[in-house]
Amino acid sequence: MAMLLLATYASSHSALRAEQGLRAAGLQVELIPVPRQVRSDCGFGLLAEVPDGDLLARSGAQDLWRVTEPAAGQLRRTYEPYL
Amino acid sequence: MSPTCRTLDARGLPCPQPVILARKALAEGGFDTLEVTVDDAASRENLLKFGAYARCLVEAVDEGGLTRIRLTPQGLDPAPALADACPLPAGAAGGGPVEVVLLSADGIGQGDPDLARLLLRGFIYTLTEAERVPRRLLLMNSGVKLAVEGSESLANLRKLEARGVEVLACGTCLEFFGLTSLLAVGGITNMYELAGHLMEGPTLTLG
Repeated sequence: MAMLLLATYASSHSALRAEQGLRAAGLQVELIPVPRQVRSDCGFGLLAEVPDGDLLARSGAQDLWRVTEPAAGQLRRTYEPYL
Repeated sequence: MSPTCRTLDARGLPCPQPVILARKALAEGGFDTLEVTVDDAASRENLLKFGAYARCLVEAVDEGGLTRIRLTPQGLDPAPALADACPLPAGAAGGGPVEVVLLSADGIGQGDPDLARLLLRGFIYTLTEAERVPRRLLLMNSGVKLAVEGSESLANLRKLEARGVEVLACGTCLEFFGLTSLLAVGGITNMYELAGHLMEGPTLTLG
């Protein structure tokens, strides 16, 4: 089953490189600013709907976070570590 | 012929959705009176303000936790910008809230253009999650590239529009870049309107 994951990277260069590579591999990704509660060396991460974390992990990600869409009436997504 | 009435059930919908639905219905027309049912105080207040702003005759009937608001258009332009109807929170000390954001380029700041574009994409995404949004987002010069087919920010600009932000792109700039036919979100405007909006309240310029 597909799930929404956020991959964080060690640098913005790595994030941009990963974005290009993952798109070339046919994955739809969105580059977004990393929220405050998510730790990362770079301020941007890649959001993608994937069956598991393999592809994102292989893109050079520092950490993976499981993302939950905002509840009704809320604006922000929530994040928890994806192990 | 007897007056016609269209009804909208907006119970359970958070602001500004009831106002968005009402605005859409008023824009479509085809009735004399629009009756919107809501079940929370914020939506009730916002619809009353919206109705007045949209030059409607406004009546509200409260019963058992529900309010039926009847809007009867009186003027020529019943579909104004939504953010005008959903009031912004009180301003921070020392200055009012930003009413207009001007994006005068497709990136933020000088230096590396890839970094500039990355920062602006990030800013637009973050605005979609912000408690406070501006009334208007004005796009000028290469800022218009954000609103055309293929833009990375298209989905997020549409989200902002759904939250009531009016997105307006400079027509001269679209034409200059040959992008007029590719505009995919917001409207096209001219310098008179842009200048008017830039002078109407606190403006944040990024570009």
